[in-house]
Amino acid sequence: MHHVLMDQWSQGSSPLHARDPRAKILALLVFLIVLATTAPNAFSALVIDAAVLLAGILIAGLPPISLLMRAAVVLPFSLAFGLISWLAGDRLRALGLVEKSYLSTVAVLLVVGTTPLPLLLSGLEALGTPRLLALVAQFIYRYLFVVSEQAQHLRLAAACRQGRERQRRLGFRAAAGALAVLFARSYYRAEGIHRAMMARAFSGKFALFRRLQFRLSDGFFTLAVTAFLILVRIQ
Amino acid sequence: MHIPDNFLSTPVWATLDAVSIPAVGLMVKRAGRELEDTSIPLLGVMGAFVFAAQMINFPVGIGTSGHLVGGALLAFTLGAAPATVVMTAIIAIQAFVFQDGGVLALGANVFNMAVAGVLAGYLPFWMWAARRKKAAIFLGAFLSVMVSASLALGELLISGVAMPRPLVLVSMALFAMSALIEGAITISVVQAIERLNPGLVQKPEASNWRSLAVLSGVALVLGLVGFLWASSAPDGIQRLGTQLGLAAQTSFHAPFADYTAFTFDSAWLRRATAGLAGLLLVYAVCVAFGKMIGRRRSA
Repeated sequence: MHHVLMDQWSQGSSPLHARDPRAKILALLVFLIVLATTAPNAFSALVIDAAVLLAGILIAGLPPISLLMRAAVVLPFSLAFGLISWLAGDRLRALGLVEKSYLSTVAVLLVVGTTPLPLLLSGLEALGTPRLLALVAQFIYRYLFVVSEQAQHLRLAAACRQGRERQRRLGFRAAAGALAVLFARSYYRAEGIHRAMMARAFSGKFALFRRLQFRLSDGFFTLAVTAFLILVRIQ
Repeated sequence: MHIPDNFLSTPVWATLDAVSIPAVGLMVKRAGRELEDTSIPLLGVMGAFVFAAQMINFPVGIGTSGHLVGGALLAFTLGAAPATVVMTAIIAIQAFVFQDGGVLALGANVFNMAVAGVLAGYLPFWMWAARRKKAAIFLGAFLSVMVSASLALGELLISGVAMPRPLVLVSMALFAMSALIEGAITISVVQAIERLNPGLVQKPEASNWRSLAVLSGVALVLGLVGFLWASSAPDGIQRLGTQLGLAAQTSFHAPFADYTAFTFDSAWLRRATAGLAGLLLVYAVCVAFGKMIGRRRSA
């Protein structure tokens, strides 16, 4: 599954992986804002932006083809809207929708592919995201796959009980029942998790394997990326 | 309904980011007050549940199927403020991990689905759950999807994304369909949950929700006005966007295309300054409003 792939990518040890998550988040924001305000037909600037991303992918040692393929998830949506704009005569916007949304997605993937999600979320928290929100996001990511697997089991079990003819699809009420069971099980699971956390003296914060440390090199990285992108933008 | 980056024009996403940050901050504070520390895992696991619920398909009519969106169900079981927090976390994870929705557009998506959608969905539940529970649940789930979809469509139109009228009408009809489906799914899931354990569906607490009810009313009106307006005159919204300078018109970008010197165009600088000042104002108003609501509640 693709998210497992992302987890593998983010475990690498390139200079980009080693940067503090805050440095990468800030650089990402600068990149996205610069891109959002670039004209769709400023091709030289867009090519340089794309080159920055490609250089990032190569430095990080991520597989370029599969990353670029993965970023294509945004294309059906942006191609559809691009086509509508094109037919409506707004060709510049059509171009911008497709190329800029694709580049933005590649940029996000590059950052997420070089930063494990727990670190990324701690970075967001250090940048001012409320602690409750960051904690909830951490929990969602941790239990996403557990609960999803349970959902698949429930679906399979319900399909088995239904018999051969209607095996492929659940009835409406059966699906509602399956969801209700999943809901109740998630609820009780949460209670169990809470008791286990208390037993292990949860301090109100997840422990990280690596402490966040904003080094001089991180500051230099953010400054360099920011300065370069802004220079490209105003040429 | 997750808007990717670069679909909305800069003024639109920036404004919605400036609105969403204090709005979510307020909801986090409320949720923290309503819940004890015990419920952090609960919120997280329920968020994971909403993700997983998308795997279970509900047959609706000929060959098609729908799935639970979940904002309203979370509001009915966890309460409005915690549901907003969970939905915000879900939308952020979808943007970062699954590339579903943009990062700059996060404020817009959070506003549509986690703030306006959840509040508009909670309003009927809060008002009528005691007397007409079924109708309240159905209406709440319907509104949560309808309001967020209409807002998203309105934001796209005001950003200047050209959509011919028939297309707008067709997408409106599709939104209404999926909102009806969400209503049907939510009501049958809530009933099934109540058969398992009646305690899991909350009784809305009338006393501590009055101030947020005003906000939800605003969200609802905003969504409905957007819906009616967009369906009757999509060009009107576009024109308004252009007049207010919200739409990313090509003329707005044109000066940059062949910019060669370092000199700042004074018009550009003025516009950027005005834009930033406007954003700060929006942010300040939202923060002040949040503070006011907080004070009234503690008084």
